[in-house]
Amino acid sequence: MDITILGSQIIGIIPLGDIVFYFTQFNLFMFATALAFTAIIAISKTETQVEAEFGKLGDRAVTVAKKEFKIRRFLAIICGLATAGAMITGDLFDFTLFVCLTGIVNIGIVGAVRQVDVLDAAYQYGLIAMMASLPLFGGAALILAATGTISLLAINTLAYTTPMMILGSILLFIGVAGETGVAPFFATKAEMFRTPGSPFLLIIHLSSLLILVRLIEILLIINKPF
Amino acid sequence: MNLMTNILLNVIIAFLIGSLLFGLQRKIMARIQGRPGPPIIQHLLHTLKFFIKESAFPYTAAMPFYIAITAMLSMIWVAAVIVGPVTGGSLLLIFGIYAVHKIVEHNAGSSSGSPYGKLSCVRAVYSAAAEVPLFAVLVIIYFKTGTMNITSLINYQAVHGPLLYAIPLAALMFFILILSKAPYSPFAITKGKDIVSGYETEHFGLLRGYLMMSESIAWYMLLWVFLTVFLGPISIPVYLIGMVVMSSIIAFINATTPLLNPNHSIMMQVTFAFVGIVGSFALLMI
Repeated sequence: MDITILGSQIIGIIPLGDIVFYFTQFNLFMFATALAFTAIIAISKTETQVEAEFGKLGDRAVTVAKKEFKIRRFLAIICGLATAGAMITGDLFDFTLFVCLTGIVNIGIVGAVRQVDVLDAAYQYGLIAMMASLPLFGGAALILAATGTISLLAINTLAYTTPMMILGSILLFIGVAGETGVAPFFATKAEMFRTPGSPFLLIIHLSSLLILVRLIEILLIINKPF
Repeated sequence: MNLMTNILLNVIIAFLIGSLLFGLQRKIMARIQGRPGPPIIQHLLHTLKFFIKESAFPYTAAMPFYIAITAMLSMIWVAAVIVGPVTGGSLLLIFGIYAVHKIVEHNAGSSSGSPYGKLSCVRAVYSAAAEVPLFAVLVIIYFKTGTMNITSLINYQAVHGPLLYAIPLAALMFFILILSKAPYSPFAITKGKDIVSGYETEHFGLLRGYLMMSESIAWYMLLWVFLTVFLGPISIPVYLIGMVVMSSIIAFINATTPLLNPNHSIMMQVTFAFVGIVGSFALLMI
């Protein structure tokens, strides 16, 4: 297959109707990493946090209750699979759907925790994620309007970048930043990470960073060099 | 050379050179601070020592996640060696590997249940917000050269000259990122001594050995990426000189600056990233 994306040869594609997955070295690594972490999370227990008691000399063990553990593990697995999908999709609209799904399950993973501070942080993250869905889908729609396609393989062959594509890219970036809670929204996320349940917190962090890196690849495909 | 031999050789070289450069840094820092300091080989010996020490696992740890995360750190940096010096693959992939490194740093801390590890984990989340944009300045390279393939980048520089002169702000930003990963750096908030050893605090024996080995390979790889991407086709002795010079400059900075408060560290890195990205685009446009 003689298609090159950002200087890397495409190893293969999986056409599923109008949904096309493609693999380069980069996509394959990110996909495999997301799946590997998801598998580890699926079989892992959670840690016990040891905290000092305020005003006393004793320690306090903070654990994850069984009921909470089950729902958080389920959502973490869904999040991992959605992240893996976002790594290999060759369709811009699919990418936005995967990103949206990770945003929803990320809120669920921390929303299941019975701690006021954590729930407060999850609520704020939820508000940002909801608001970010407008620029996320709006950006993808603008790129579709400017190029006539949402296929990244087709956009890759275009030799030009119009101002509308740049505007669409900026909106897409804002949308993904809000949905995944990356900077400048990370301060809220850091508060969510104080709760126990390390494997589940990993998937929140993993999905954010992997999607951000994939977004950079997508933005470089859309916006051509000077 | 056989591919497997090539990979093995490059991983061993990365580990040995990375460890010796860490040792050199500690030596230079000590001499600047008026101390004799440990021998240069100390970091390497320290790493090897952990491989023969007894391993212990905290009863509060999230198993098997706590162990798997260490294995994952080793695997990703071995993958980086394969993508970089062995095959000259995608720079974007090394960016992805760095992102996974931040995730591992975050969860190595939280998986043990230790409060020191947990604080390091929260700081890793903060620092990712600053370090990932710093690494993202590599996209400037794409807008300048039209490729993210390392071999193509070397060829580009063979014709057009080193990118260090064409996009100096991007090089500076990447240097700040490397500085952030150095031990005792003003930006090394995840391993600050106020939280013992940060995310490594509760990793003992073999697991600690793997963590230290991965960090040495990571250090070598970050320097290798900088020299390859910004200086282009250079010989092995120039690589070695470049790595020694960069490690020495970083040691000097580390010896003369305090560890920053996490919020100040992030704001300073974000400011550098902002200036780097906006400035580089401005330079490309004019």
